[in-house]
Amino acid sequence: MQLTDVLIVIAEVSFVLMVSPLLTGIIGKAKAWMQCRQGPSVLQPYRDLWKLMRKATVASREASWLFFVIPYVCLGAMVCLAVMVPVFNAGPSGGVGDMVATIYVLGLFRFMMVLGGLEGGSPFGGMGSSREMMISAIVEPTLLLSIFSVAAISGTTDLSSISRFFAALGPKGLSPTLFLASAAIFISLLAENSRVPFDNPATHLELTMVHEGMLLEYSGRELAMMEMASYVRLTMFMVILSNVFFPWGIALGTGAGELLVGVASISLKLLLLSVSVAVVESVMAKMRLFRLPNLLTVSFTLSLLAVMSYYIL
Amino acid sequence: MIEALLLVPLFTALLCGLARSERTIYVLSAAGSTVTALVAFPCCYQAFSGPPLHRGPWYLDPLSALFVLVIVVITLLVSVYSVQYLQHDRREGEVNVKDLRYYHVLLHLFALCMLLVVVVDSLGLMWIAVEGTTLISAFLVGFYKKGEAIEASWKYLIICSVGITLALLGIVLLYASSMAALGEGADTLDWSALRAVADQLDPALVKVAFIFIVVGLGTKAGLAPMHTWLPDAHSQSPTPISALLSAVLLNCAMYGVLRVHILAQAAVPGFSSSLLTFFGLLSVAIATAFLLTSRDLKRFLAFSSVEHMGIIALGFGIGGPLAVLGALFHVVAHSLTKTLMFFGAGNVIQRYRTREMREIKGVGRTMPATASLLVLGGAAIAGSPPFAIFIGELLITAGALASGEYLVAGLFIALMAIIFAAMTYRVLGMVSGRPQEGVPAGELGALRLMPMLVLAAAIIVLGVLLPSALGDALGSVAELFEVII
Amino acid sequence: MGQLVRSFAFQSLMLAAIAAVLAHYTGSEHIYVVAGLTLVVKGLVIPRFLIYSMDRLKVRREIEPLVGIPASLLISGGLVIVAYYITEPLISSAETVTRNCLAVSLAVVLIGLFMMISRRKAMTQMVGLLMMENGLFLGIISTTYGMPLIVEIGIFFDVLMAVLIMGIFAYRINQTFETLDTTFMRRLRG
Repeated sequence: MQLTDVLIVIAEVSFVLMVSPLLTGIIGKAKAWMQCRQGPSVLQPYRDLWKLMRKATVASREASWLFFVIPYVCLGAMVCLAVMVPVFNAGPSGGVGDMVATIYVLGLFRFMMVLGGLEGGSPFGGMGSSREMMISAIVEPTLLLSIFSVAAISGTTDLSSISRFFAALGPKGLSPTLFLASAAIFISLLAENSRVPFDNPATHLELTMVHEGMLLEYSGRELAMMEMASYVRLTMFMVILSNVFFPWGIALGTGAGELLVGVASISLKLLLLSVSVAVVESVMAKMRLFRLPNLLTVSFTLSLLAVMSYYIL
Repeated sequence: MIEALLLVPLFTALLCGLARSERTIYVLSAAGSTVTALVAFPCCYQAFSGPPLHRGPWYLDPLSALFVLVIVVITLLVSVYSVQYLQHDRREGEVNVKDLRYYHVLLHLFALCMLLVVVVDSLGLMWIAVEGTTLISAFLVGFYKKGEAIEASWKYLIICSVGITLALLGIVLLYASSMAALGEGADTLDWSALRAVADQLDPALVKVAFIFIVVGLGTKAGLAPMHTWLPDAHSQSPTPISALLSAVLLNCAMYGVLRVHILAQAAVPGFSSSLLTFFGLLSVAIATAFLLTSRDLKRFLAFSSVEHMGIIALGFGIGGPLAVLGALFHVVAHSLTKTLMFFGAGNVIQRYRTREMREIKGVGRTMPATASLLVLGGAAIAGSPPFAIFIGELLITAGALASGEYLVAGLFIALMAIIFAAMTYRVLGMVSGRPQEGVPAGELGALRLMPMLVLAAAIIVLGVLLPSALGDALGSVAELFEVII
Repeated sequence: MGQLVRSFAFQSLMLAAIAAVLAHYTGSEHIYVVAGLTLVVKGLVIPRFLIYSMDRLKVRREIEPLVGIPASLLISGGLVIVAYYITEPLISSAETVTRNCLAVSLAVVLIGLFMMISRRKAMTQMVGLLMMENGLFLGIISTTYGMPLIVEIGIFFDVLMAVLIMGIFAYRINQTFETLDTTFMRRLRG
């Protein structure tokens, strides 16, 4: 590992950390515009985080030591993910991420968050946790299968190698497998990050909460860290979708020009994806909880078909 | 010649559609079927004695000719019988003149489609004609607009359409298998062309194609386990139509299977025979089981059709000169006997106003002529000598034994015995005893008995001796299956 | 229900597009004719007729099918795998450009068949049959670059007739049973 590689990794992580709240802000703003209102500023999430960092923490009487550790673990897992996944550089040092490890890090994050929901001792937290697990039960195999399909095409499970493979292929790499798998991952993105139609992120009715329910008991700095971790998760999902499936523009070496192009292309893709998420959220309504498995099975079947199509076609 | 054969039913249908009075419709219908039969005889004679008639899209070889004869004869008898059957329904108020017109138009269009199935050369056009028969007969099945009739016709439409779609997939695969053999530019599904290169067809494709075709067209032919539409459709339709469906339509579907069987035999010997034997035995077995538990007279006869179609498939599956001859003979024998039975059942059902066999008693006292013909027909269809069906079944069993298929022959004989028992029990149960109160005595009309007498005479004659003309005809058909008698 | 018909129209559209591309690739004109027919008959005429029937029959939603939705989706995925397994020996020996379409076409046929078995409303069964025909058509144009033209035209005509006739029967079912739920038609047994 050379110094430049370490610097690039640090730059990637900082980029992700800085951009994540902005993406959530962009989604909020886009949704507001689609509803013909002004909406909050795109920098609002930063202000919210700053406000929360300065507030005191109040914990429930039933909370154990785990309650205080969980936010650190979650944020740490997301930073780890930012190191593993190639953000704007797919060179040999761009990421050290094997895709299966990536899925497991996401699983760690989800597990810790679910425990955090139970820690508070309130029924709403437990409800949110159980719903989150129900959704994840189908999302995880979908993610695995989708990434298996691209791994099958490129012959390796290392995320940067897959990126390099598709970047080298260029437009010739477009195949039905890619489309099916990315459709499956887009639906999983909506599911994992608690977007409509799976969960309304702006709801204040505890009975309808999935993600927010698990965060109900957190306050102050811990809440800031959990929120930040959620923003980073959204960003990382979008980065995986962009860079593994459509990695055009990603830097393959460490030249300054290449890196700038890489940063520009990932920024553009993130912007595009945020706006698409906002559009989907505005167009669809939140689905009933027991109809969610239907939609999730659709995404699972899509990923299954993605793997099949690799062998059929 | 062949064009004339097809134009006559078309004209009859048109004229029936335009006719005003009942009488005109009946006369036109009967006259039309007679003319069709008269036109058919010379064509068939030519096909049997000389080389196959091959002109344009038409192809009439001995196999087609045999089926054409069956179609036109049965259609003639059915149109004669329909006269008094429908008159009875008119009196009861179940149908009006518009329905009558509708019935006869559809009847002749149906006959036209069935004739089309057997005289075209291209397998694709044959498929289109088979689909046409399904669509037209769906209306005939749903003729009485009661709940059960509609249920039966919907089931019939859906199941047969699915079957036919699968059969089309089979035909496409067959076409694909012929592409290499026929070479570039020979863009054809003509059976005669495929027959010439049959041994060069791609074996893997032919196997898959045959499976789809036997399942698909077998659905229309009434082979189990795809036969589920058959009892419903044949029992809910008007009785003359049930006769036409059982005796002729099932044969047409079997004709399609046989055409492909001949091709498959040349391309992949042994595969198609084993499949036919399997489906044949399965049909006979399943039909036997349901025969024993049937209570409705027409359903009973419908299951008997499934059984006999199974026997025919079995005969062709076993192969060899005896079995093939037996199967071909059985095609003719079954059509005649089943029609006779359905006509008798029609008489009984209209007199007794019920189809439950337990409620029908004492036919011997109320309608002696029908009763005697029913007993004769029942014995015939159960397979007793000296009737035609016995000869067919005997030949098939002999063929099985000659080919060394002892297990098949044994199962076959056992099932025949059970069916004989069931059939005699039911028929004698209906004929003997005292009729219930309120059932008027007396036959329902001479025009009904005439066709029945003709049929009875035919099956006795065929059971006792084989006219040499028929023998030669069957021999020339059997040659197509590459067996020498 | 409207979504069902729209999905079918979309599928027919894609089919016509495939046929057109194939016609361009092989340069044979009769496939263009066939592509055009697919577009008009299956993409426009039949969906319009289905929507017209649905309005007349006041059909709204599909009732909960006999097999639940997630299970149906998984079974459909399984059927794709089965279709691939069946056609694999055939595909490896064929030499046409579209040889892989055979697996897809068989999958569509099987999924259409599954739809006919597992759904209860008469109209959905009709659409299932039409899907089977679509799959079949894909099989036709991909393995054999289309059959003799007269056969193709005959098949289209037949499909159209079948749809019209089934529409008439669906109307009769609705008149007699006051519903299009086919599980109500159970009087004939044994």
